[in-house]
Amino acid sequence: MSGRIEGKTAFVTGGAGGIGWAICRRFAAEGARVICADITAPGDFPPEGVEHRSLDIADESAVQSAFARLGAERDSLDILVNAAGIEIEKTVEDTTLEEWNRSFAVNVTGTFLTSKFSLPLLRKSEGASIINFGSYDGFIADPGLAAYCATKGAVHALTRAMACDHGPEGIRVNAICPGYVDTPMLQSFFTGEGSGGDGKSIDDLQQAVRDVHPMRRYGTPDDVANLVLWLASDEARYASGQLWVLDGGLSAQVQQMRL
Amino acid sequence: MRLASKSALVTGGRQGIGRGIVEAFLREGATVTTCGRGDKPDELSDACDWHRIDVADPEQVTQLAEAVGPLDILVNNAGVQVEKTVMDSTDADWDLVMGVNARGVFNCCRAFLPLLREGGSIINIGSISGKVADPEMALYNASKAFVHGLTRSIAVDHGARIRCNAICPGWIETGMLDAGFALADEPEVAREEALKRHPVGRFGKPDDIAEMAVWLASDAAGFANGQLFTIDGGLTAASPLQPGLS
Repeated sequence: MSGRIEGKTAFVTGGAGGIGWAICRRFAAEGARVICADITAPGDFPPEGVEHRSLDIADESAVQSAFARLGAERDSLDILVNAAGIEIEKTVEDTTLEEWNRSFAVNVTGTFLTSKFSLPLLRKSEGASIINFGSYDGFIADPGLAAYCATKGAVHALTRAMACDHGPEGIRVNAICPGYVDTPMLQSFFTGEGSGGDGKSIDDLQQAVRDVHPMRRYGTPDDVANLVLWLASDEARYASGQLWVLDGGLSAQVQQMRL
Repeated sequence: MRLASKSALVTGGRQGIGRGIVEAFLREGATVTTCGRGDKPDELSDACDWHRIDVADPEQVTQLAEAVGPLDILVNNAGVQVEKTVMDSTDADWDLVMGVNARGVFNCCRAFLPLLREGGSIINIGSISGKVADPEMALYNASKAFVHGLTRSIAVDHGARIRCNAICPGWIETGMLDAGFALADEPEVAREEALKRHPVGRFGKPDDIAEMAVWLASDAAGFANGQLFTIDGGLTAASPLQPGLS
């Protein structure tokens, strides 16, 4: 099946990252014109239909200019995906104010700014969809990720607020809340400071975490792109204001009892 | 065709959401069997097998499983509602609502789990009413919370082989919704007021739910497990206290 978002224009922040890149490729394969906005360039050459534009989403004037440029090029924007995010692997006590502020600047303020400056273009779409990236960590915490968990909770609340405010304008707003997805960010989490303790190797740790999942595996970026595509398409025309957890059943369990 | 070469059982396919799911699955290339307590409705597609059974009866569900055989997709959609508080609910109301909505889902999951092929998908129809209460729907609300709990349990116990998720519809244009409004003093006013509380400005349609069912049934949802997916046009994202609305 293809062409599910044929002719639509999509703007994907964090588009060069693990999940963002999978989304850009999937959107292009389904017929969309995709702006892959990221502070860094993608590692691979963008496929046809995907254009990389350098953007720091925490910079107000840069975001404003990016959408002014898009508005000059195109009549409307159909899909905004806020996939850019950073993760500081620390407790509150160890997190510096600079790290805390940077987490909120990218994960929350970035989503606010792209939404704010894209709304005039989204209103001109026949059926616009904003897809934010929350996290399973916005519901239940992973240890040593305090600022990250807090930012994702904020994204969840912003998602519901925007669904209320902009639903009457024909704009749907949802958030995807991934669990463990095999990305560079996850690998950094496993190899970061404090991981692999208790004499366990990184591989043993990874296997232990997989075993906690009812499906016995992590998600892949393509698993996430599948749900983003659905939420972006007209098939999801009545879906709004929701937080879509995609974690292979991890958080359906009471506790991570098998660790 | 996202469900080509897959076989599905959808309970309660006579009308409403179940009917929408049957038609969507057929469009996507699945082989579909459905069932209900009455005879096959005349207008239901000939492409679809019909079994006359009551899912509340374990014996009848066992016989259905023997007749249907291996499956890729099980949709537990059959449901009933009784619009009463706990005080007004009778034993017969309990048997009807819990029998179909709770025991019926359990019966079908137990009977069909061994018949579901590796990578199969169970889709239960829960409800926003299993998360937040609709007034004077005590047994219905409770029965849907049961469905949500069972969904997570199956996802956790059997996740290595099959996936299990629930869809929680909001207010969908079906006979059930009309029955709810009919109880209001002024049904048309009640309908207008309810509509105002939907950020997307309309009630849902069976096909809105069927689209999610197609996705969950398809291999694209390969990592979706143990979740309750609400599709309600934003209704429950908003506080029930909204200034300017009453």
